[in-house]
Amino acid sequence: MSEVSLKTLYREMLLLRRFDELCLQLKMKDLVYSGYHPYEGQEAVAVGFCGALRKEDILLSTHRPHGHAAAKGCSLEAVLSEMMGRRTGCSGGLGGGMQYLDAENNFFCGSVVGSNLPIATGFGLAIKQQKLDRVCLCLFGDGASNTGAFHEALNLAAIWKLPILFVCENNQFAEAMPVWEFVACERISMRARGYGLEEITVDGNDVEETRRVALALIERIRRGEGPFLVEALTYRIRGHYVGDPEATYRSRQEVDGWREKEPLKRAQEKLLQSGLPPAALEEMDQATKDRMETLQAWALAQEFPSLEQAIDHVYVAFADGRNACQ
Amino acid sequence: MPVITFGEAIRQAYREEMRRDKNVFLMGEDVGRWGSLYRSSKGLLEEFGPEQVKDTPISEAAIAGCAVGSAVLGMRPIVEIMYIDFITIAMDQIVNHAAKWHQLSNGKVRLPIVFKTQGGAGRRNSSQHSQSLENWFVNVPGLITVMPSSPYDVKGLLKSAVRDDNPVVFIEHKALYFEKGEVPEDEYLIPLGKADIKRPGKDLTIIATSWMVLFALRAAENLREQGISCEVVDPRTLWPLDKETLVRSVKKTGLCLVVTEAPAEGGWSGEASSVIHEHCFRELRKPVKRLCGLRTGIPYGPVLERQVIPSEASIMHAARELVSVETKVDDGN
Repeated sequence: MSEVSLKTLYREMLLLRRFDELCLQLKMKDLVYSGYHPYEGQEAVAVGFCGALRKEDILLSTHRPHGHAAAKGCSLEAVLSEMMGRRTGCSGGLGGGMQYLDAENNFFCGSVVGSNLPIATGFGLAIKQQKLDRVCLCLFGDGASNTGAFHEALNLAAIWKLPILFVCENNQFAEAMPVWEFVACERISMRARGYGLEEITVDGNDVEETRRVALALIERIRRGEGPFLVEALTYRIRGHYVGDPEATYRSRQEVDGWREKEPLKRAQEKLLQSGLPPAALEEMDQATKDRMETLQAWALAQEFPSLEQAIDHVYVAFADGRNACQ
Repeated sequence: MPVITFGEAIRQAYREEMRRDKNVFLMGEDVGRWGSLYRSSKGLLEEFGPEQVKDTPISEAAIAGCAVGSAVLGMRPIVEIMYIDFITIAMDQIVNHAAKWHQLSNGKVRLPIVFKTQGGAGRRNSSQHSQSLENWFVNVPGLITVMPSSPYDVKGLLKSAVRDDNPVVFIEHKALYFEKGEVPEDEYLIPLGKADIKRPGKDLTIIATSWMVLFALRAAENLREQGISCEVVDPRTLWPLDKETLVRSVKKTGLCLVVTEAPAEGGWSGEASSVIHEHCFRELRKPVKRLCGLRTGIPYGPVLERQVIPSEASIMHAARELVSVETKVDDGN
């Protein structure tokens, strides 16, 4: 992958980082209402995998979705205003930061851990049966790999040979549960063998690697070789949510150690080594910060949904016009 | 008019809908090779092939989720959950996803899914294969809940459920598959959310669901010989509830008995009873009476399992009690 590409990937990761910071600030001001799950440190997974999709490809995300959504190409305005409960949000402000659907961009996320894997099998089945030139990417965490839904979905996808890329974004913690204590095998990717699939592990903090692996596997899926299960190793730099009791499950030194290996820092170093002037990095950063300011000002001006909107789409009206909401 | 079984009526509905629309497909455990536990999809794998009739692993969560994803891309899945007791494994997908995604998509995504299952006692299967869990679904906004009681109804309602764009939980009763009834040869649909008066009467309204409709009809026939005229109303769809038909009947009779196999506490029978009290308070001569399954796991074996759910005899007793208490009050005046 060329230097220009790394620069582009870096710019995308930077956007996610600054967006995450903005969301965090808004959470601290109580303008984002639900639990906020920061994405800092995992940007190379979103940019590498989600960014490798086309608009028509399906992305199933998690309760920590904003980085995935941004990398998929969902509008940051729609994502942020959803988190802030405004009617211009992806789900009209009714879903919040953990569960929203952007059907136009084929983006779907939800706040029940592990539930998106079974849903992926349905997208995969429809794509295969309708012979569509699309793939389905399903992202989930190490915690989700311990659910029954993980097993049921992987097995079903494997026996039906569905066009799905399952990516386990192993950020080392399921809330406060460290993966080394709560996952019985050494690598989550080893579980792929149980479904007759290849065992694939990637460095989830190396954006060039995640993108390269994503493109290669997506290409193979388009040729009918799916599904695949990939484990992307990364690290959740912040708590599960803002203000969680971090000291109960990890040390400051551990986090500091991972800050040295986080994906933006690694990409920056590589870009500088390859001759990119530091001013170019600063310029990119300033442009991203400017964008965040404009975005915040816009989002703060958006209206909240009405009670009518809150009950508007519970049901589709029957053929004769009656609605089951009443 | 041809007389066919409940199971055959289901098969006819499947066949007609799968022919009409290639996006309609059936999946579940043993729906293909076996043609379903009660043979309601027998022969369909041969006729429609594995794209429309899919045997699945024992993975209720996966197949319920599979329905959600495939529905978003325009397919119309019918998911068969072999026993309603096993739907517990699929509840996350039904309640948290199928029931929510239309709203979360601002109305852009539709979930035309039929979660088709069967429940109830009567086949000596004990407490993990005999439950009446319909009440759970009635309480979830976003879901439609259907419980047919006759071959005619199951065919017309199933076809409507397949064509509807909402997720529908379609609950059959295991004791009904071999019941026979008239089903016209010409195509017909029964709209969801419409009750049916199974037997007209004037002294008392019996609102009964699913298998209990059959008991209520037999009880009503016996009561007629004793001079009591019962109107038997089958809501057919528990939600949305056809309040209008129920209320009209009770306004006419002034007495109401609600019969369900499910336990009364926290259930749909309470909802029905409440609707009647709210709308027929002036016409009611006595409070609504409920006759429901006892608050216990369905016991094993043919004797006890019948004793913990309403029967023809217990319905007759409850009906006579309602009417006779009324008579006593009249005598007192």
